[in-house]
Amino acid sequence: MNDTPRTRRWIEIRGSVGQLDWCLIGFSLIGGMLVLLPLLALLNITIGQLADIPFLISIATQKQVIDSILLTFGAGLVAVAILIIFGTPLSYVLARTQSRFNQVVESLIDLPLVLPHTVAGLMVYILFMQRGLIGAPLKEMGIVFEDAFLGIVVAMLFVAMPFYVNTVREGFQKVPVHLENVARTLGATRFQAFCLIVLPSSIRHIFNGCILAWGRAISEFAAVIMIAYYPMIISTLIYYRFTTGGIKESSAVAFVMIVACFAVFLILRSVTRYLGRYDDRV
Amino acid sequence: MIEFDRVSIALGDFLLDEVSLSIQKGDYYFIMGPSGAGKTIILEAISGLLVPDSGRILQEGKDVRGIPPEKRRIGLVYQDYSLFPHMTVEKNIAFGMKMRHLPALEVGQQVNKLMKQFEITHLACRAPLTLSGGEQQRVAIARALAIDPELLLLDEPLSALDPITRDRFIEELRSIHRDQGLTIVHVTHDRRDATSLGTRMAMIIDGRLAQEDRVDTIFASPCSERVARFLGFENILKGTVMSCEDGLCTVDIGKNRVAVMARAKPGSHIALCIRADDITVLKHDGNKTSARNIFDGTIIQKTISGSLALLFIDIGVNITAVVTTKSVAELAFDAGTPVCVSFKATAVHVLPPQVFETRNPDTRPGFSIT
Repeated sequence: MNDTPRTRRWIEIRGSVGQLDWCLIGFSLIGGMLVLLPLLALLNITIGQLADIPFLISIATQKQVIDSILLTFGAGLVAVAILIIFGTPLSYVLARTQSRFNQVVESLIDLPLVLPHTVAGLMVYILFMQRGLIGAPLKEMGIVFEDAFLGIVVAMLFVAMPFYVNTVREGFQKVPVHLENVARTLGATRFQAFCLIVLPSSIRHIFNGCILAWGRAISEFAAVIMIAYYPMIISTLIYYRFTTGGIKESSAVAFVMIVACFAVFLILRSVTRYLGRYDDRV
Repeated sequence: MIEFDRVSIALGDFLLDEVSLSIQKGDYYFIMGPSGAGKTIILEAISGLLVPDSGRILQEGKDVRGIPPEKRRIGLVYQDYSLFPHMTVEKNIAFGMKMRHLPALEVGQQVNKLMKQFEITHLACRAPLTLSGGEQQRVAIARALAIDPELLLLDEPLSALDPITRDRFIEELRSIHRDQGLTIVHVTHDRRDATSLGTRMAMIIDGRLAQEDRVDTIFASPCSERVARFLGFENILKGTVMSCEDGLCTVDIGKNRVAVMARAKPGSHIALCIRADDITVLKHDGNKTSARNIFDGTIIQKTISGSLALLFIDIGVNITAVVTTKSVAELAFDAGTPVCVSFKATAVHVLPPQVFETRNPDTRPGFSIT
């Protein structure tokens, strides 16, 4: 048998796994079908855009597109910041208590997951519109949500809430209560034990919760346009361009958004890989 | 130093039920009992992590209800050591002192001293999850001692260690207790820990205090059948007192009569507790002993465990004896072998009728207490 480099490589592959695992190979083929869908969609739009690079550059450098992407990312960040401030204590309480009310609270938190986005948008709108339960008194103070940045933020907050709270709660649940107990016997108050032991121990989950919530927030469309069509977030802009400029123009904006999101998420996922890992043998 | 005055704590379906304990300064106090008996709850109540639903916990005579754990200066080491995973060994040990706002210089000196004492200086910059069980345990104890505690609480700290590391740590705990005069409360279900280290102990069963006394007293004179079983009395035989004279009673246990040192009224029902290693097994035609209780029997079953063998023997009732595997080989003990069983009257601990318990009968195959 010819021992060519190619055959040697094949032997190495077989040798490294001992023998071929047909079960895993089968699973990979079936699972691969699912990956194929976004991959094809991505390739399709990429090839289309790269065919006319000057047009793509002209779209990507439009002030409205750049402003819209920055607005979307910024509103998402504000929504995540609010979630960190209010969602973190809530997640901790849900993780550390076993009250019968927990299920009710958890169901309320999960509600945006199951609601059609238009329904979520309608709920937010009714609450924050200028005649709404919260919107009306705040309008008196000069705070307006309709067609305003704050409107975008509350819509994003509403739909992103379950992603943050559930992920962080799971992280807190994984921190043994014994760690807090020991910290307290060593002189830490309950709040200090939370800040110095629980938070750092669940940093990975908190970061993941932020990524998921931010991702969900910036991808929202229906809930946002119900309360704030203007200023246009990127989803609204793409829809606007689709109805006024056609597929070519809207897909160019979409492609810019895809590249921006891919870059940001790649960086975030790379950071997560090393965050909160305390066993260097893993 | 620490007293429990009828302390009750309900946690879900579990109830720690009116437990009263007394831990004196300088004690190496053991809390023993089966899993789920409520031992850890007692430790958490002492440290202030759990507040009694009723009853009082007194420290130096003062009710400590309302004093949070961070104000009590009580060191706690859990079975899993609970080291902070995001801190190095050095920072773990320094944590308590920093929480107490000690000057950085003093913290550094104390950390170095403890790391030297526990021979973990080379691990100073390591993450806890990369350490072995023995190393983690040393760090956990050093961290607990760093706050100069008045009381050290240990929750089964030896259970996850290999036998060699375990023996070394028993010596280390002994020296901590002896050299520093520290009061230690140690939860375990391992009898060897208590007999090696303990001065006093409490037996907790099903959330209730079953017995509290000196370690040697409890091991010699358990107060009930369940305590006796837990403390390693493999044979608990129930019988009726036939006669009693000058502290020597004859007890009918079915086909045989046993002589025991006790004071009991004839006709009363008592239980006899005999450790398997207090029973001598000889060949049927072997040398007789000076023991008062000598019975003929037949080996039913033999179980080898390391250098020892358990023999289950029918002498009218079923009893368990421990012999060396060497004896088993030399005397050709096997199932069906006729043997002569003997034990001294003083080797029998007698439980009075009022502490008879009929729950949890021995369920070993072929064995029942009659």
